[in-house]
Amino acid sequence: MARFTEKQYRNQLSLAMVAYMAAMLLVWPLSRTAASVPLKVLLAVVPVLPMLFVIGLMARRIGASDELEQRVHLLALGAATALLGALSLVGGFLDAAGVLALRGSILIWVFPVTMISYGAVRWWLVRHYGGSAGCEGGSPGWQLCLLAVLVLMVLGVGWWHGRLDAFEKGLLFGLAPGVLILLVVSLWRRLRRVADKD
Amino acid sequence: MSEALRVDLGGRRPGTGPPMKNQVRDLRGEQGWSQADLAERLDVSRQTVNAIETGKYDPSLPLAFKIARLFGQSIETIFEPD
Repeated sequence: MARFTEKQYRNQLSLAMVAYMAAMLLVWPLSRTAASVPLKVLLAVVPVLPMLFVIGLMARRIGASDELEQRVHLLALGAATALLGALSLVGGFLDAAGVLALRGSILIWVFPVTMISYGAVRWWLVRHYGGSAGCEGGSPGWQLCLLAVLVLMVLGVGWWHGRLDAFEKGLLFGLAPGVLILLVVSLWRRLRRVADKD
Repeated sequence: MSEALRVDLGGRRPGTGPPMKNQVRDLRGEQGWSQADLAERLDVSRQTVNAIETGKYDPSLPLAFKIARLFGQSIETIFEPD
């Protein structure tokens, strides 16, 4: 069976993230005004679908990895889970003691925090084993461009329909510099690789 | 069981245990293969080959056997405890 390459993973991940952004900005806001409870539930969980796809992608990526890559993935996921568990304990005890007043919506951060911690630990482990955390066989530059264009299109449509509230507008202005920084870093790495080859 | 097989072939934990010495880089060089060529033959990533050659990662027993068979040598010849 052909290996599930890093490039395939990143391509599918980019599409899933665009679908997530579209669901968050165009579908999820409708859940606030939906009349019936079943429709409200359905609209509220729509953004979860692309995330379930991402979890499936990760499982496929880990399953198709060789033994060292699997070791790195599983160590990173273990460390991320431990960190999340520790943070949840601290937050839970502080909330129970009345020091913090945490809302249920904080659970939205569980998955992003896990993924960010996983990414950071994986980056460290890959460097430890003498590898590069970047994808093999190509630069993700064009994918970032595609992602940026699609995200901006989604946001543009959302804006046009007048569905963006203050939070979503803030997200738009927050995302733009983030994507720009990623593009600059990607371009810089690409130029450095070209310079190293010469 | 030989001394070479008694050491941890399941992969060294980061920062623990002494690495095993191995002849993988030399044997690959004799064949005129790049790390990518060897990785393809072993069905692993190039980074895994690099980690094995630099002693940062000790392969599992099945992968060690695969390497030994590919070069037509015994595991003890290729891998030895430091």
